Amino acid sequence: MQGNTRRTGVMTDVHRRFLQLLMTHGVLEECDVKRLQKHCYKVHDCNATVEKLEDFINTINSVLESLYIEIKKGVTEDDGRPIYALVNLATTSVSKMASDFAENELDLFRKALELIIDSDTGFASSTNILNLVDQLKGKKMRKKEAEHVLQKFVQNKWLIEKEGEFTLHGRAILEMDQYIRETYPDAVKVCNICRSLLIQGQSCETCGIRMHLPCVAKYFQSSSEPHCPHCNDYWPHEVPEVFDPEKERETGMSRSNKRPSRSRQH
Amino acid sequence: MSQKPKSRGRPSSQVEREPGGGGEEAPSTSRGPGGAASQRRAQASPAPGPRSQKQLELKVAELVQFLLIKDQRKIPIRRTDILRHVVGDYKDVLPELLRRAAERLEYVFGYRLVELEPRSNTYILVNTLEPVEEDAEMRGDQGTPTTGLLMIVLGLIFMKGNSIKETEVWDFLRRLGVHPTKKHLIFGDPKKLITEDFVRQRYLDYRRIPHTDPVDYELQWGPRTNLETSKMKVLKFVAKIHHQDPKDWPAQYCEALADEEARARPQPAGPSPATAPAPTLSPVS
Ligand SMILES: [Zn+2]
Ligand SMILES: [Zn+2]
Repeated sequence: MQGNTRRTGVMTDVHRRFLQLLMTHGVLEECDVKRLQKHCYKVHDCNATVEKLEDFINTINSVLESLYIEIKKGVTEDDGRPIYALVNLATTSVSKMASDFAENELDLFRKALELIIDSDTGFASSTNILNLVDQLKGKKMRKKEAEHVLQKFVQNKWLIEKEGEFTLHGRAILEMDQYIRETYPDAVKVCNICRSLLIQGQSCETCGIRMHLPCVAKYFQSSSEPHCPHCNDYWPHEVPEVFDPEKERETGMSRSNKRPSRSRQH
Repeated sequence: MSQKPKSRGRPSSQVEREPGGGGEEAPSTSRGPGGAASQRRAQASPAPGPRSQKQLELKVAELVQFLLIKDQRKIPIRRTDILRHVVGDYKDVLPELLRRAAERLEYVFGYRLVELEPRSNTYILVNTLEPVEEDAEMRGDQGTPTTGLLMIVLGLIFMKGNSIKETEVWDFLRRLGVHPTKKHLIFGDPKKLITEDFVRQRYLDYRRIPHTDPVDYELQWGPRTNLETSKMKVLKFVAKIHHQDPKDWPAQYCEALADEEARARPQPAGPSPATAPAPTLSPVS
């Protein structure tokens, strides 16, 4: 094997099984990633010292590098849950999405993506998306079919649906970050705090800068009177809470029936 | 929801940068998000010169991803498809690309790239990691709910002397509530699943028995079965569902033992013959 001798650990069957199973998901939340890691240690080597998740992922990423694949960590845009996605870094290589969807379906995704990027809120209504089905490339698609395809995008974690409106899933943001920046250079939004791509978030009503909800939460965590980090004007939105995995475990609340944070804003 | 007026033109050169953007079912680099296709066309005609390590590395990466994606459908991957969708004008270095991809697949993912049958020019990925039941709930896809049915058919074939008439298969399955002509809740169309899907995936061979009236077919193990599992494993499966011991079928047990030995023989002292069915894992790194 060519010299990938970094300070990362050695690939073992524990890592390989982890990678195989992660591949079947595409994206997982951190708690599930930890569960998966534990499972793989249990199968192969109960006595092995469990690598810290970060090191474990680094070990895998060090051998994935030459394949232009990476396990990327991100956070969900609405409540800042850590997620891990297996993403494809080579723009020239076969994309997972392209192989799972037909041409007209991919074009539907592209249309939805465009509406989402163009929107102020980061959401596109299903009505607006479905109105574009006549313009799709490839085989003709009826609205009913298109609705079904949109649901497939949701199941495959490329889109998230909230009350009839669609936004990008964290997986899509991690995977398509570069593509989105290059394709929509004048429509993309960037977070004022972390400087990464922003699809949904809050914005200053005076100067217009935008912030991710999790970034808002962290930035204003200890301030009783939040002010815009850019123009210092009063921040007129409700400040969400910082994501806390401990608290999450206690309440054990389910993700799916959480209210969209967007609707909490004034 | 307010929307900005559309200002941006979409020059045609961007089409290739869009996610996917292809047509046919098969994944192909030409429809990936990147501009590989145009690049490739541009350099297609002149005789291929030596490629940089970087170029080769990128091709290997594409090949690995192609094989991983194709394998999810369990359809054996044909060399011609590899050439058409990935390799393009790197044809002259195909053996090198395949060798490197195989090495990566095994070292990184634990999948062995094997030719389905000698000189068949058809490849499959064989998992070098033993499947464990608990994997099922850790999987994101549904896994393969049809595996159980496949194992039953493989078991039947083995117990009947490695070949069975199709009519006998249905006689047996009917008792389990699986009918050739009735839609099954889990297996869908069982007739299609067994005589088409498993056959296309090369788990089963399906042949017409000559001179039969009415026409009957026979089923045997296909080449993928011999690579992914073994007679002993199938016998153990059969024994388990009967709550019996494999040794309760002495003839089959002997055959399975002989098969195990035959598998073990050609390989150099492998770490654990149990983890690798056919030829053992080549030691990596
Ligand atoms: Zn941010
Ligand atoms: Zn401001």
